[in-house]
Amino acid sequence: MSTGTQLLVGMADIKVAKGPATFTCLGLGSCIGLVAFDEQADVWGMVHIMLPEAFKDKPVDKVGKFANTGIPAMIAEMEKLGANPSRMVMALAGGAQVFKFGSAASSRLDVGARNAEATLEILRGMRAKISAQDTGGSSGRTMIVKSDTGVVTVRTVHGGETELCCLRRGRRSVAA
Amino acid sequence: MSEQTHQFGLMEMSAIREMSNIGLGHATTALANMTGKSFNMEIPNVETVALEQVPLMMGNPEEVAVGICMPIDGDITGHTAFLFPWESAQDLWRMLIGTAPETPGDIDELAASVMLEIGNIVSSSFLNAISDMSNLKLHATPPMVSVDLVYTIAASIVAEAEMDEAIALALETRLYGMDDCATTGYFLCVPTLSGLNQLFRALGIAEAA
Repeated sequence: MSTGTQLLVGMADIKVAKGPATFTCLGLGSCIGLVAFDEQADVWGMVHIMLPEAFKDKPVDKVGKFANTGIPAMIAEMEKLGANPSRMVMALAGGAQVFKFGSAASSRLDVGARNAEATLEILRGMRAKISAQDTGGSSGRTMIVKSDTGVVTVRTVHGGETELCCLRRGRRSVAA
Repeated sequence: MSEQTHQFGLMEMSAIREMSNIGLGHATTALANMTGKSFNMEIPNVETVALEQVPLMMGNPEEVAVGICMPIDGDITGHTAFLFPWESAQDLWRMLIGTAPETPGDIDELAASVMLEIGNIVSSSFLNAISDMSNLKLHATPPMVSVDLVYTIAASIVAEAEMDEAIALALETRLYGMDDCATTGYFLCVPTLSGLNQLFRALGIAEAA
């Protein structure tokens, strides 16, 4: 198959791959989809973050659930496949407030904005290279990454499908 | 493995199932009164599941739906939500205002307020029924509406619920129109663990160890 492995990255999931793969983060609302790529090692990783920070008084049931545990865990998984964090480029999408109608909608504690903020802060702390970001607003996003082309696309119910970025520096033609 | 799929005893589970059955019966009647159509509902499915599984439990996760979310306040806290697949939401609009938005992008203030009102009435009926049975105070808070994929809506509710407190269980059911009415919808309730324990105490059921 030209598209390689199909990886569905559900809530709190971390998926990594070396070689051809298609990653899909379905229906990101307040959640964040973060993809990282080391071109030299040809290793990809994606995490579907639900919440900004692990609860201090509770055990972490799934590391991928929180930004502060999920990002390091994804990078560690990628390193096992030979990736080097200093070479990684990243892109993120999500962090919306999908409940846009209703008097209470704007005053609610906005998990989406907090997720985006926490993710960016962690990435900045690591001096990660962020190629593109599509966060905030009120539309849910489905994020699709095709490893062969390096193209990251974002699909919304209201706005259709758009290309967010290409994480391969040398954009190469799709191998048949 | 998830630490947050708290296990309840048979007694607790059947109490939740019975209460939600009665509560949803009231909610379904309220929807029928509003629309003038008959609705039926399935026996609620009460499951202690990891919250991240919930978005996959409500029909087709990639389908566009209208979601109405209402946080619960009072002696029990948590979230309730109704999800109507897009075509069912259009049915509801036609029943109530005689016309429906053609695409999710066409929703105006009137159409949104119809859904907010459905949420208000249906969720309040559910909460009132539980309140009457348990003598606990429960308040419906102002509803919020979203139009997006089922997965997106459910995931956003679940994330907010988890932010409040690790969750114990989700109860979920499908309601559907009778006779000439093909409307279907999903109901979701995610109470907090402390809220549930409060309910068990009010009902005189010993808390499971």
